Amino acid sequence: MTAALDILPVTQMPADGPYGPAGTHGVTARLFDPPALATLAARRGGGIALAAAARVELGLDLADAPRLSRADGLSAIGTAPGRWLLLAGTEGDLAARLAPLAPHAAITEQTDAYVGVEIDGPHARDLLAKGVSLDLDPAAFPPGAAATTNVAHVNVSFWREPGEDRFVFLVARSYRVAFARFLVASGAEYGLELVHRG
Amino acid sequence: MRIPCPYCGARDASEFAYLGDATLTRPDPAAPDAADAFHAYVYLRDNPAGAHSEWWYHAGGCRRWVKVARDTTTHAIAGAELAEGAR
Repeated sequence: MTAALDILPVTQMPADGPYGPAGTHGVTARLFDPPALATLAARRGGGIALAAAARVELGLDLADAPRLSRADGLSAIGTAPGRWLLLAGTEGDLAARLAPLAPHAAITEQTDAYVGVEIDGPHARDLLAKGVSLDLDPAAFPPGAAATTNVAHVNVSFWREPGEDRFVFLVARSYRVAFARFLVASGAEYGLELVHRG
Repeated sequence: MRIPCPYCGARDASEFAYLGDATLTRPDPAAPDAADAFHAYVYLRDNPAGAHSEWWYHAGGCRRWVKVARDTTTHAIAGAELAEGAR
């Protein structure tokens, strides 16, 4: 089923399209370029002031935990104590938007550092079970839960979207081909549709 | 073995790098016996069978140092705390 990978150079992105038995469609994986992305690291002892500034200036609840919080199209993903990845849903001047937080945090532009992968479908969790060593049952990993971990030797940050049975992964750009190969090799048996989104 | 990272939750040991004994204290470099003290600090280790306190680095997750209380004979972990709050 994944014979396509046998002849594909390991440095080359698998082509868009269906993988697996004809007529099956269990998982969809959409690769996309994040419109704008930055890391936010609270200054020493400045976590409380940063959380207050985020609440007042952005309406954003910066939970100091591996969780997703979102306000006005801006997503914050907790990656470590006092650290978040900030993802804007649309293009725009993220630096200007985050400027009010600068007295309390180090803000580093990361837009080109990561690619995003949305994964959903009735067999999404079956695919992910082959690479993610966390319990992704909604009871253990509810909507809005996030994690940073290794998947097929690739370090990723990901979360479960609120309200939908969908996972979103952020993968270092130079690992996107390796991660796509993991998706094809693991998802083909369920019928995988690989798509590059906009 | 799964290590309960205080931030990330229980994670497989493969996500961590091991540093070793967390009970050591860096000697005073100005002390007269500093050379011997540093030799012991850098090279000499006990090999306890049972309760041990150790540093693990969560390289695959939050990239924080974690101080773990582990039983070396059973791998049972009694607790873990971030290095930032330890000592």
